[in-house]
Amino acid sequence: MWPQQFDYQRADSVESALAAIGDNGKFIAGGHSLLPAMKLRLSTPDQLVDISRIDALRGITNGNGNLSIGGAATHAEIAASAAVGAACPALAQACGMVGDQAVRNFGTLGGNIAHADPASDPPTALVACGATIHIQGVDGSRSVSAQDFFVDLFETDLQDGELITSISLPDCSDCQCAYVKLPHPASRYAIVGVAVCLKMDGDTCAQADVAVGGATVKAVKCAGAAAALVGSSLDDAALSAAAAALSDDIGDWLTGDVAYPEAYRSAMAGVFLKRAISAASG
Amino acid sequence: MSAEAGSVIGESIKRIDARGKVTGETRYPGDIDIEGQLWMRIKFSERAHARVVAVDVAAAEALPGVVRVFTSLDVPVNEYGLVIKDQPVLCGPGGDKAGTDVVRCYMDMVAVAVAETDTIAKQAIALIQVHYEDLPAVFDAEEAMLASAPQLHPDCADNQVARYRIRRGDMAAGWRAADVVVEGMYETTWQEHAYLQPEAGLGYIDEANRVTVVVAGQWTHEDQEQIYHALDLPPGQVRVIYPAIGGAFGGREDMSVQIVLALAAWKLRRPVKIQWNREESIRYHHKRHPIKVRAKWGATGEGLLTAMECEVIGDAGAYNYTSNKVLGNAHLTVSGAYEVENIHIDTYAVYTNNIPSGAFRGFGAPQALLAAEGQMNRLAAALNMDPLEIRLKNSIREGSIGSVGTPFPPGVSMPQVFAACGAESWWRQGEAGWQLQAPVAPSDSSKRRGRGLAGGFKNVGFSFGFPEHCWAGIELQGSAEIERVILYHAGADVGQGAHTVLMQMAADALGVPFERVQLVASDTATSGSSGSASASRLSFMSGNAIRGAAELALRKWQDEERPAKADFMYHPPETTPFDPQTGYAEPNFAYGYVAEAVEVEVDIETGQVQLLEVVCANDVGKVINRQQLEGQIEGAIVQAQGYALMEYLVSRDGRILNPYLSTYLIPTSLDVPPRVKSVVLEYPDPIGPWGARGMAEMPFLPLAPAIAAAIYAATGVWIDSQPFTAQKVVAALRAAGIGEV
Ligand SMILES: Cc1cc2nc3c(=O)[nH]c(=O)nc-3n(C[C@H](O)[C@H](O)[C@H](O)COP(=O)(O)OP(=O)(O)OC[C@H]3O[C@@H](n4cnc5c(N)ncnc54)[C@H](O)[C@@H]3O)c2cc1C
Repeated sequence: MWPQQFDYQRADSVESALAAIGDNGKFIAGGHSLLPAMKLRLSTPDQLVDISRIDALRGITNGNGNLSIGGAATHAEIAASAAVGAACPALAQACGMVGDQAVRNFGTLGGNIAHADPASDPPTALVACGATIHIQGVDGSRSVSAQDFFVDLFETDLQDGELITSISLPDCSDCQCAYVKLPHPASRYAIVGVAVCLKMDGDTCAQADVAVGGATVKAVKCAGAAAALVGSSLDDAALSAAAAALSDDIGDWLTGDVAYPEAYRSAMAGVFLKRAISAASG
Repeated sequence: MSAEAGSVIGESIKRIDARGKVTGETRYPGDIDIEGQLWMRIKFSERAHARVVAVDVAAAEALPGVVRVFTSLDVPVNEYGLVIKDQPVLCGPGGDKAGTDVVRCYMDMVAVAVAETDTIAKQAIALIQVHYEDLPAVFDAEEAMLASAPQLHPDCADNQVARYRIRRGDMAAGWRAADVVVEGMYETTWQEHAYLQPEAGLGYIDEANRVTVVVAGQWTHEDQEQIYHALDLPPGQVRVIYPAIGGAFGGREDMSVQIVLALAAWKLRRPVKIQWNREESIRYHHKRHPIKVRAKWGATGEGLLTAMECEVIGDAGAYNYTSNKVLGNAHLTVSGAYEVENIHIDTYAVYTNNIPSGAFRGFGAPQALLAAEGQMNRLAAALNMDPLEIRLKNSIREGSIGSVGTPFPPGVSMPQVFAACGAESWWRQGEAGWQLQAPVAPSDSSKRRGRGLAGGFKNVGFSFGFPEHCWAGIELQGSAEIERVILYHAGADVGQGAHTVLMQMAADALGVPFERVQLVASDTATSGSSGSASASRLSFMSGNAIRGAAELALRKWQDEERPAKADFMYHPPETTPFDPQTGYAEPNFAYGYVAEAVEVEVDIETGQVQLLEVVCANDVGKVINRQQLEGQIEGAIVQAQGYALMEYLVSRDGRILNPYLSTYLIPTSLDVPPRVKSVVLEYPDPIGPWGARGMAEMPFLPLAPAIAAAIYAATGVWIDSQPFTAQKVVAALRAAGIGEV
């Protein structure tokens, strides 16, 4: 349980961080995923570049219909942010449900999504709510949708040496969104997490986005379930149809373990879809 | 001198070990080091079943810092085992006993490496090359009973290490008299003891040239016997000392590091230390028995039992440990705390290539009661009777004849315990008898609440003809009055507070203030055998031994002997084993009785079950230390809650897949029930000291079946397979068309 030896330096700007990372370096933000991986020798960087104090990565702003969250903003900051609470309650809820208070004080949104643990909470909210990930490398910057960012188990579109500078979300003050989860009793990670983002036209659902995590190897966008909701009044029949479609949506991506096998997680995805819709419309 | 005014019996005397444990001063085996000590690591089996053809230690011994590698060739008498010596100390070639070259599970030991540091010892283990010849393995107890199954032990052709029968009455008449018959199949799986302190120990040669092992166990003299047998030494050449013990629950009854530590210290004549981590502890000590019960019970329309048929199959794992006794107790308790004339039971303990099963709080009774109380609750449901009413109708009482054809020992309080449990929980007595009050329905439509009841009994002390005994020594110092009492006792304080209780009993027996009593404890060099801290026996047995020694010492004191010294060996009434054909026996000399009522909330969509409240009525005979007693009740309930709802040890082909507390989940402060009510009853046991019965296992016994009954009351679904995890509950609910979204 001891990491391999490494050097450590603290960066004060995005540019200096990018310059310092080297061939076998790693950015460290909260260290809450990286350090455990290093102790298990799953990750063996020779150099850590600490990005947690770079001001440019910390802020949360809301303007021009666009919510922007710095890559090194902590879960606690996001959960407590009035701007996030107004523009995207699902993300505030997801960040507020991460681990415990100590974990939320250290863990960052950028670190969370870069790590791409299948049991994470924020990715599910980001995928449902149509987030964009802004990335910078030594050769320039680029943006990718959350849906495309998450590729597979612990696998993202992020390339070596690239930094997540911010995460942006369309301001959906006119939609209703929510994130709910079944937490693991020991770690509080998601056994199943479901996020929904709904636009209602009176009693009718005009638009729906649904994503599932925890039960799946990555946060999965669920078009079938969403289609079953659109045009309905979110009545029991529509919820049942959406739950049924959801198991098809996530079928290829399901994961499980001895305590919570795939079949149980799949069944729970439907249950938590219903609870997410009720939370969103409540 | 008995419990009069001023007596400390019943007082919540502060534990003598409280300060040290709270401040961290207390030293557990892992905390004890000796200058110049060596370190030991163990090479465990890498196969579930294989012949060890050769063990190549050359590379390991060549590693600088390695002092010695020991293999089967170094063990003088290569066998051990609490009841049957069926396990090699180190598996490997060269022995003169057949089968000692075979590993039968992953927890078998093949070699031990001793080195100057722990790191080097660990490296040495990796360098030991073991050549195996694989043998066919079997991991299911029922498969292991088939003629086609591989044979695990040379002297046990059918893998059945124990087989018991009960044949009483006229079954055909019993079924004819039945208006209703209920059948069930109940399954339980392994449970891990999860005590706080992983196995550790220190071996050295003491000033009297005794090979000495400092370790955590449950019975110093049994550890001593296992060691001197394997090392082929005279008993006096081996000494066992227990420092503070971090929990046991039955998990330290059998050997872990004792013999190999003694072997290395004896051969090297240097101190040797070993410390396991949590993963090793979970992988390499025995577990609670997985037991399958098939039960068929009949009753009249009025709810009187007419016939009972049960088959009980227990997975002993690779070695017997205490399996024949555990299954004996399951055999005895699978009929529940009820009288029935016609009864037919078959019980088997079966060798498999799984991790050995052995002692664990309750000793077979929790598994048996899951079935017995499940059957009783099914009968109540089938007859639309109140679950307490039907129990009181059939309950054993004073003078009742048990399933084994002999009366229960005097002092049967089962009906009073059932009634107290009902009265102190949610039952009201009306004209139609006892009636359970339904809980308030929760407002959330996905939640259902229910209440359930179960009860049972547990033996106090060793059963089935074991020569049960307990020793105590007392020395009285002073001149005109007794100024100081020294109590010598080997009884293990495994964390239950036994040492404080022993001193309380000595103070009362001698009529001196508690403060004058000193205890010299848990060392084979200073005490005779007390028997084990198990079977809810230690207070009962040692109380009687202390009273005997106190009486003799006081007589000498009156005869002016200074100091006045006496010792006493207490022997309770003799017991007998089961008759092989009929099961006829006088199995035990004392019992404790318990009943529990619970309220649960079931999330019908997720299958999660939350335990909201437990009311436990426990007849303890006489309270010795109230605080310790309530601690045992609450602790047992939480441990049983884990057993019922959470603890799921997964083993595939004999290998444990979740040997961590992050994946083998036990209750924490967030899980325990918000309300636990201890209803402590004091119906004296006629032969118990001060009337005390044993009590520490009892509150574990009925919790799982009470929860199963409450789940049924909440949802109408029976869950017969322990643990009642969310996924099992969901599967059962969905099969009944409940909770689908
Ligand atoms: C006890 C515990 C419980 C937890 N429970 C939960 C839970 O319930 N739900 C949940 O979602 N998570 C949970 N987590 C994980 C927590 O959210 C982590 O903090 C988070 O996943 C990683 O954030 P971090 O800032 O600590 O990243 P680090 O550990 O510092 O880094 C993780 C990875 O991301 C890279 N990285 C970090 N920042 C950036 C960046 N800006 N750009 C590019 N790469 C970057 C690092 O190089 C590293 O590879 C838990 C963690 C712990 C320890």
